[in-house]
Amino acid sequence: MLKPKQMSRAVIVGHKDIMEATVEAIHGSNLFHLEDYNEDGSGLKLGRPFKNAGEVSKKLIQLRSISSFLGVKKESIPKKKETTVINELDSMLDQLDIEVSTKTEKKSELDSRLKELETLKKDISPFSAIPIDMELYHNYESIKVFAGTVKENIGPAISQVTSTYEMEYDQSTGTVVLFIKKEDEAKISEILSNFEFREIRIPEISGTPSTLLADITREEEGIQKQITSLETDISSIKDKYSEFILASEELLTIEAEKAEAPVKIATSEHTFIIDGWIPDDQFATLERTIESATNGRAFVSKQNITKADTDIIPIEYDNPKITQPFQEIMDLYARPKYKEIDPTSLIFISFPLFYGMILGDIGYALILLALALGIKKMVNSDAVKPLMNVLIYCQISTLIFGVLYGEFLGFPLASLHTDHGIIPGLIAGFETITLFNSPVGGEVITYPIHRTHIVMTMIIATAIIGSLHVNFGYVVGFINEKRNHGFAAAMFEKGSWLVVELGIILGVLGYTGYAPTEIIGIIVFLIGFVMLVKGEGAKGAIELPSLLSNALSYTRLIAVGLSSIYIASTVNLIAFEMILPQGGVLAVIGAIIVFIFGHALNTVLSIIAPGLHSLRLQYVEFFGKFYEGGGRKYNPFGYIRKYTEE
Amino acid sequence: MAVEAVTYMDPAGLKAIGAGLAVGLTGLASGIAERDIGSAAIGAMAENESLFGKGLILTVIPETIVIFGLVVALLIS
Repeated sequence: MLKPKQMSRAVIVGHKDIMEATVEAIHGSNLFHLEDYNEDGSGLKLGRPFKNAGEVSKKLIQLRSISSFLGVKKESIPKKKETTVINELDSMLDQLDIEVSTKTEKKSELDSRLKELETLKKDISPFSAIPIDMELYHNYESIKVFAGTVKENIGPAISQVTSTYEMEYDQSTGTVVLFIKKEDEAKISEILSNFEFREIRIPEISGTPSTLLADITREEEGIQKQITSLETDISSIKDKYSEFILASEELLTIEAEKAEAPVKIATSEHTFIIDGWIPDDQFATLERTIESATNGRAFVSKQNITKADTDIIPIEYDNPKITQPFQEIMDLYARPKYKEIDPTSLIFISFPLFYGMILGDIGYALILLALALGIKKMVNSDAVKPLMNVLIYCQISTLIFGVLYGEFLGFPLASLHTDHGIIPGLIAGFETITLFNSPVGGEVITYPIHRTHIVMTMIIATAIIGSLHVNFGYVVGFINEKRNHGFAAAMFEKGSWLVVELGIILGVLGYTGYAPTEIIGIIVFLIGFVMLVKGEGAKGAIELPSLLSNALSYTRLIAVGLSSIYIASTVNLIAFEMILPQGGVLAVIGAIIVFIFGHALNTVLSIIAPGLHSLRLQYVEFFGKFYEGGGRKYNPFGYIRKYTEE
Repeated sequence: MAVEAVTYMDPAGLKAIGAGLAVGLTGLASGIAERDIGSAAIGAMAENESLFGKGLILTVIPETIVIFGLVVALLIS
């Protein structure tokens, strides 16, 4: 827990004869994080891909293009035996290629014809109401043809200029075609421009527009039918081959990874050197695997980790299963460094705790819990699952706080007697029990805790929780610093904050007259301040006020929570006290709609607002005190098989 | 004799106005501050996805302003 996995640097050396077997063994074990070799003038060269690399990648490209054309989706299928897949790979691939390529060609042909027809249709449609053969628009020596749109009938205007003309005008679209003598062209153009004439391109085909359009529509329908039948064919091919495609793609990916591996490895004329990282507890396994794969001809050795190495050690989390979903939240920020405390287990507690404190509503907890469980069950994705698990943890915490606060969808569960009268609760007969008086604001602590009535107390309480959390951060920072730079550095950089705080507490106690510690407090504060400036420089002094702002920042635990309650209770108010009393069926329906949509909105907000604020408290206020991050991800050379087995 | 009209302000109303100003103005302030940071953060994320965490943190830092406003409003009312 709390620490990334212990890693060892391993170097594997051997003769080039056994390179392929070694790579095979490493890839199969899926444990070894391969360190890419960069040529550094030491005489070692990068290796060349194995001889099957070209063929494998060619097949892989072929298969992937077919797979994307067919739209093969990743789904869970029964695992296939590797040998069966290999045996049928070549013949199946050829067969598939023939079947698919004819279909692809056919389909793209049809698609492009469909597009052509579409353009043609667009070109012809302005002429649809004009019964002139399209052929008659072209190829005249002494006649000029105008075709276009105008804003109104130009017949009268033209007839004033010339009597020898032919005109067709379509009132509804404003399309006009005009045949005139060439010599009248200049005069007519002028008239046309007065009527806002806009020229239309005349398509070069023959036939009257209406029959042409009918023909086109008929052809389009035919093509659509062909495409549909083609698509049925394609989907039947997909159904038939998708298992084969998934399995063989996986197999070829594995082969390609292995075949390309030598380009990351240092080689000399006759030997190879593979450098990389492996979890400490797996070193023996790796040694054994390689020994048996190469008959002991490859030499595996563990290297000492130097100080310069610590920054490049790949990081693998080492957390119990229950806290693992929070690794996603860590990765969102940054992976821990090798020598750092891994705070996954810490935010496993504090993140849901703060989320629950903010939301604290039984109704929303149950809705979101059902939602998270549903999504987790339905969506089979490695990216979504951990987030849903985080959401589930958060809802459990929300449920607990919901019981503590006695809230259900913004309604109080218990009735409360106040100075302004009785606020009825949702559960009849469930009375609020008075526990004790709060030390601030003359408020009374009760069960259930009515957050809206003890705002002052809650603000102080959340600020205190904040101080505790921030100080916990300093303690973790102290441990980190002590581990890396020794006790003195830790004391000056992180411990000084605790001393400063102690000074402030003693000073305040003295000032308010609780204890005679005013002077001591000031002295302790000054000592702490000097330590801080020594540890962190001027930056420390500037950051001093952040002690206050950080603690006050935790007041969002109550502030955001209150805003969520107010939205929920406003929805309830509108639905049940403003709409419902109007009477009638409509009012009932209206109230239900407002209730459902209002709470749906607030449910969405209930993921975002508490989630983000709780996350921020971890990232900014908590992590800021100790966390550095920036570790490399441990990414072992290998493959997790889904569709095949050896 | 002219009687001067005396207008009273209801303290509760003034409190409500004060609370409203506290939330409203700090909300604007947070918004203005987050606008620039947020757009820069998204720009950075477009270049490098792994900056999401840092971008989020930087973006929500001014959020504290409005939280303080909300707290002040709660204290007033």
